[in-house]
Amino acid sequence: MARNDRAGKVARTGAPGGGKDSGAGPPVTSPPATSPAGRGLDWLNLFVGNIQTGFGPFIAVYLTTQGWTETSIGLALSLGTISAMASQVPAGAMVDAIANKAAVVFFSILAFSLGALLFAIQPTPLPVYLAEIIHSFSSCTLGPAIAAISLAVAGPAMLGLRFGRNTRFASIGNGIGAALMGACGYYVSERAVFFLTAALTLPALVPLLPLARLGTGGRAAGRDAGSGGWRDGLRPLLTDRRLLIFAASLMLFTLGNAAILPLIGSALTERVGSTASLLIAACIVLPQLVVAAISPAIGRLAETRGRRLVLLLGFCTLPIRGLLFAAASDPAFAVPVQILDGIAGAAIGVLVPLVTSDIAGRSGHFNLALGFVGFAIGIGATLSTSLAGAIADRFGNSIALLGLAGVGLAATALVWGAMPETRTPQPGTP
Amino acid sequence: MTIRGSGLRRRLLCGLAAAAPVLTILASGGLAASPGEPPAAQATGQKPAQAGPAASTTAPAAPATAPAAPATAPPKPATAPAATAAAPPKPKNLEPLQSAASSGILGKKVTGPDGKELGLIVDVVVAADGHPLAAIIDFGGFLGVGSRKIAIDWRLLRFDPGQPDWQVALRLSRAEVQAAPEYKPDAATNQMVGPPWEAPASRNGEK
Repeated sequence: MARNDRAGKVARTGAPGGGKDSGAGPPVTSPPATSPAGRGLDWLNLFVGNIQTGFGPFIAVYLTTQGWTETSIGLALSLGTISAMASQVPAGAMVDAIANKAAVVFFSILAFSLGALLFAIQPTPLPVYLAEIIHSFSSCTLGPAIAAISLAVAGPAMLGLRFGRNTRFASIGNGIGAALMGACGYYVSERAVFFLTAALTLPALVPLLPLARLGTGGRAAGRDAGSGGWRDGLRPLLTDRRLLIFAASLMLFTLGNAAILPLIGSALTERVGSTASLLIAACIVLPQLVVAAISPAIGRLAETRGRRLVLLLGFCTLPIRGLLFAAASDPAFAVPVQILDGIAGAAIGVLVPLVTSDIAGRSGHFNLALGFVGFAIGIGATLSTSLAGAIADRFGNSIALLGLAGVGLAATALVWGAMPETRTPQPGTP
Repeated sequence: MTIRGSGLRRRLLCGLAAAAPVLTILASGGLAASPGEPPAAQATGQKPAQAGPAASTTAPAAPATAPAAPATAPPKPATAPAATAAAPPKPKNLEPLQSAASSGILGKKVTGPDGKELGLIVDVVVAADGHPLAAIIDFGGFLGVGSRKIAIDWRLLRFDPGQPDWQVALRLSRAEVQAAPEYKPDAATNQMVGPPWEAPASRNGEK
């Protein structure tokens, strides 16, 4: 009971702090949210962040309560992972080919509703497998489509700020989603969480109205209808050294990052008493609050000081965080350390679409490139838990955390040594 | 020997644990569950997903019915030809499985002495003779993050099937079990939390 109250309170108190820095933008002042389309994007990101929480690790808990075995749950989750990996690049290419990105977002969100309803109504193998596949594919179309709409809504000079706002609102949505769904699972039932998820897809459709009116005649259509042949632009893009290094460094980062929270969570469960669940909730929600607070500033920083700096700033938090966790004796110490996770989350949330648009924004393959980067991140995330689990089994949690910190250091070194600056100088910026 | 993810659901009723080589049965509720077909009218439980495969009798009962088959040979020729024409014959020995006195166990919530939820039963470990030795509990966590699988001696659990929303009661508190070693299905040896009033040596081993 108490844990969910606390999570909700944290989510609410964080909001005013996040509002502070949105007004103070020295170099690039024109606010990207004043247009109806900009506000539509804000709300869209918030609601999508909200919905995505329902499809997280909670699925395993829900299926367990429905009498599923570990083996069949593992099968369902692997199916989701595999279909997500397989869909990333094709889904990106598909979004590139469709001029009306708002329609892509619309149908992706409807697919989310269908997936959530399948989970809620019929938690038996075939519907669950189907829901996993539907959700995986529509995630791969939704993210790139939102990024493409953002490209169209914000001018090139505003892009960093725009992605900053996207990241802010998505993480507010994530935080609210975690609080709502935690409360729903606790007070109502595990099944109700998926009805709630399905219900939350409906308000996500509303902010699409101003975006649909924006039409297809915007920059998105102009950019995406590439002048050359479809394949002509593809080869130089996928052999672009910047894109390959960016994707490789993100894969390494995620390899080091994804397993940290589960490791810390199970350490908390083992060592802390009845407050463990609450502390884990705090470890999940606090980074979201940090992301919500700093993402616009991170976006501004990426525009004024360059992408490389922000990427290094975000990446270097991982080795520090791994070291702190490995050295920490008091598990409650885990919560403040998670602020570092928020910094990394903001940097990556902003830079993945921003750097990809630097590299591929005008190629007509922006969404495909985003899918490629997403694929690399997915590989890192998939391998991360197995890697950390194998190390932890043999050498213990501390060594596993040190190993993850080492991987994070390698990711940072790769950016430091090989990743060039991708920002193209804008007339308005120094 | 380990049977995992077999299509059969074994109903494991309350029983005393026996020390013997461990045989794990992951009753595959997910794969076998078919809420639409309650198998025997008198055997339906309140949970459709768990009542579904109830026809695949209890694990201890299985050996008993096999030797019984030759004894009940006379009715066999009478029913078999009629049934084979349309549908396969029903099992010869159908017995009532009272939902007031039995229940499926997978996915059940486990509560501590204070009534607070501790986790979910995700597996049951049985001995070679089919007696349950331990329940594997997915313990703690928030929204699926940070939970740990621990093995708890079957005798530490109390069951109350028949009540509408019954939960498995653990006789130990959260503090007494939270630091138990993680259960690994593939490990050669695992440790389970035994009754604290028994053998202090095993208690040291758990820490």
